[in-house]
Amino acid sequence: MKGVIKNMKSWWLLLFRVWQREFYLITHDGGVMLFFLFLPLLYPILYTLIYNKELVEEVPFVVIDDCRTLKSRAIVQMADATPQMQLVGYASDMAEARHWLNDKACYGIMHIPGDYSQRLVNGAQAVVPFYYDMSLLMRYRSFMEALTDIQIAIGDQERQGLLNDKGEVASGLNVSVIDSQAFILGDVTQGFASFVIPGVLILIIQQSMILGIVMLCGTSRDRRRQNKGIDTLAIKAPIGATILGKMLCYVVIYTPLTIYMLHFVPLMFGLPHVGNLVDIMLFVVPFLTASAFMGMVLQWFVSERETSFLVIVFTSAIFLFLSGLTWPRYAMEIPWRQLSALIPATWGVEGFVNINTNSATLSHVSTPYIALWLLTATYFVVAYLIWKRDRGYDN
Amino acid sequence: MGLREVIVRELRRLVARKIYLFTMIIVPIGCALFFVSLLNEGLPIKVPTAVVDHDNSSLSRQVIRDLGSSQLIDIGIHLNSYHAALDALRSGEVFGFFILPNDFEKDAIAGHSPSITYYCNMAYFIPGTLAFKGFKTTSVSTIGTMAKVQLLSIGMNDDATGSLIQPVVVQDHPIGNPWSNYSIYLCNSFAPAVLALMIMLVTVFSICEEIKCATSVEWLATARGSIVVALLGKILPHTMIFSIVGVFMQSLFYGYNHYPINCGVWIMILAMVMFVVACQSFALIVCCVLPNLRLALSVVSLLGVLSFSITGFSFPLENMYGAVAIFSYIIPVRYYFLIYIDQALNGIPLYFSRYYFMALGIFPLVALTMLWRLKKRCEKPIYVL
Repeated sequence: MKGVIKNMKSWWLLLFRVWQREFYLITHDGGVMLFFLFLPLLYPILYTLIYNKELVEEVPFVVIDDCRTLKSRAIVQMADATPQMQLVGYASDMAEARHWLNDKACYGIMHIPGDYSQRLVNGAQAVVPFYYDMSLLMRYRSFMEALTDIQIAIGDQERQGLLNDKGEVASGLNVSVIDSQAFILGDVTQGFASFVIPGVLILIIQQSMILGIVMLCGTSRDRRRQNKGIDTLAIKAPIGATILGKMLCYVVIYTPLTIYMLHFVPLMFGLPHVGNLVDIMLFVVPFLTASAFMGMVLQWFVSERETSFLVIVFTSAIFLFLSGLTWPRYAMEIPWRQLSALIPATWGVEGFVNINTNSATLSHVSTPYIALWLLTATYFVVAYLIWKRDRGYDN
Repeated sequence: MGLREVIVRELRRLVARKIYLFTMIIVPIGCALFFVSLLNEGLPIKVPTAVVDHDNSSLSRQVIRDLGSSQLIDIGIHLNSYHAALDALRSGEVFGFFILPNDFEKDAIAGHSPSITYYCNMAYFIPGTLAFKGFKTTSVSTIGTMAKVQLLSIGMNDDATGSLIQPVVVQDHPIGNPWSNYSIYLCNSFAPAVLALMIMLVTVFSICEEIKCATSVEWLATARGSIVVALLGKILPHTMIFSIVGVFMQSLFYGYNHYPINCGVWIMILAMVMFVVACQSFALIVCCVLPNLRLALSVVSLLGVLSFSITGFSFPLENMYGAVAIFSYIIPVRYYFLIYIDQALNGIPLYFSRYYFMALGIFPLVALTMLWRLKKRCEKPIYVL
C-alpha cells in the first residue's frame, strides 16, 4: 500500500516537473512565444479592425432613366437615400452604364423604363430591372436589402394613391389586413464583424495553440537528431504524466488569453457579447484540452521545427469552413460533416457563438460540450499511443 | 552558366523530401477539391426552421403549407410556444422560427390586422439570411392574398388587384452568377489564396533552409557565384510545378464544374502563371528582408492567413478603414482575384484589367532589386534559433 502511494506521489511530482519544464521551454523560445502570445493577443484586434466597419454601405450605382418624370426621380432619390446605396450618376444608355460598371465606378445599374410612371398612374405593374455586379456577395446583399424595402415603400405609396382615386369606399379600406414583423436575433445589426469574429476567435485559439505545440515538438525532434536520439531537455516521466503535464501547461497559459479573447475583445469592439462569462469559461475548458491533445497528435506529422508552418498553417482555411460558421453543417455532405466533428473548433464555434451571441446557457449547448469532452478523451488516447510508439523508436 | 546544374540540383532536392510533394501538390489540389466538394450545392438551402402555430385554423395551416413549399427553408419542427422555439434556436437546432398568433384567421377576416412575426438567427449569416428571405417571401405573399380578397370584396376586378398588391417590381439581374451560387465565388477566391500561402511557404522554406543547413555556399558555387542564376535555377522548377497545379485547379473549376469563364482560357492561364511568379517574388522579398528561416516563415504565414480577409474577398475593400485596406495592395492574390472577376466572371475587355496584370509583373522586379542582401547572407550562412 505504501508503495502505491509513493508511486502515485512520484507520478504527480513528475507530472509537475514536466509542467515546469514545458513552461520553461515555452518562455525561452521566441518562435513559440510568437504563437502563444503574439497571435492570441494581436490577431483578434487585427481581424476585428479589418471588418470593424461592419456594414457594406453606400455601394455606388448608376441610373439609366428613360422616363425622366417626377415618379422616376422619386425612386432614384429613395434609393440614394438608403444607407446601403449611393447614386454616382445618370448614364444615357446601357453601353455607358456598362462602361462605368467595368471601370468599377459603380456596382449596380438601375434601368427605369420609359413607361414607368405611365404604368403606375394607369394602375398597371411597373417593372424596374436592376443589374448587380456579382463579384462580392456582400454588395449584392446590400443592394437587395435596400431595393426590397424601396419596392415595398413605393408600393404602399402608389397603392394608397390609386385607392384614393377609386373613391371613398376604397380609400377607407385597410389593405394591409395582416401585419408582419421581422426580428433579427444574434447579430442584431447584421454587421460582418459581429458575425464572423466570435467564430474566428475560437479558431485563433485552436490554431495558435496547435502551431505552438507542434513547433515545441519539432524543436524537441531537432534536439534528438543532434544528440543521438536523446532530447536533453526532456523530463524522464511516464507517458501519461508527460502528456497530461504538457496539456496542463498549455491550458494554464491559455486561460488568461481565453478570457482576454472571449470576453475583453468583444467588449472592446462592441461585438455581440450577451452570454454569461461563467458559462463561456466552463464551456471552453474541454475545448482547450481537446485542442491541446489534438496538437500533440498532429506533431506526429512534423519532423523538424520549421515544417510545422508548412504542415499546419493551411489547415486554418479548411477548419474555418468545416466549423460551419460560413457554410452551415446541415448542408455538408455526410463525410465532411463527420470530419468536421473531429475538430474541436467546430464544436467550439457552435457552442461559443450560441452562448456569446444568442445568450444560450450551458445546457443549451450540451451537444457540443459533450462532443468536446469526447474529443478530449479520444485525442488523449491517440496521443498516448503515438508517444508510446515514438518512445519505442528511441529505445 | 550553371543554370542547368542548379536546376538539376533543385530537382534532386525536391524529390528527396516528402514535405515538397505534400505542400506543392497534395495540399493545393486537396484544398481545391475540398472547397468544390463542400460547397457543391451552391447555396445551403432548406434551412432548418421551426413554426409556432397558436391559431390552428385553416388559414394558419395554409400559411404553414406555403412556408413548407419554399425551397429556402425546411419547417422541421412544430412547437407550441415562443420560449420553446427560442430554446431550439439557442441550441442551434433551428436558424429561425415563424409565429402565427392566437385568433389569426378570425382577426384577418375581420380586418383587425393580426401580426405574424418571424425571428432569424443572424449569428450565422448565410442560413440566417436565407431563413429571413424565405419567411419574408411567404409573409408578403400571405399579406397579398388577404389584400386581394379585400379588394375583390369591394368590387374591383382581378387584373387591377394584381398590380395593386405590388405596384412596383424590382427585377433582379445578377450579372455573371445569376444563381448567386456561393461556390463559384468562394472557390475562385479561397482556393487561390491557399495556393498563394503554399507557394510563399515553400519558396521561403527552400531558400532559407539552404542558409539554415549551410548548404547555401555550395548552392551559390553551383551557380558560379551568381545569385540570379542560383535563384532562377531554384525557383523555375517550383514555378513549373505550381503553375501546373494552378491550371489544374482552374480546369477543375471552369472545365469540370462549369463555373463561368467568359474570357479566353489563355487569359486565365496567363494570370495563373503570373500569379505564381508574383507569389514567389513576394516570398523572395520577405527572404531578402529577413534571411532567417523561422522569421521569414512566420511572416509569410501571418500574411498568408490574413490575406484571406484583408484582400476583400468577402468584405469590400472600400468599406474597410483606409489604413487597413491599403495593405491589401501588397498581396498578390488580390490582383489574381480582380483579374478573375473582370475576365472569367464578367468577361469584360482586357483593357480594364491592365493595371492588375501590371501589378503582378511588378513583384518580380521589386524582388530583383533586393537580391544583394540575400547573396550576402548566402555567402556567410548563420543559423539563429
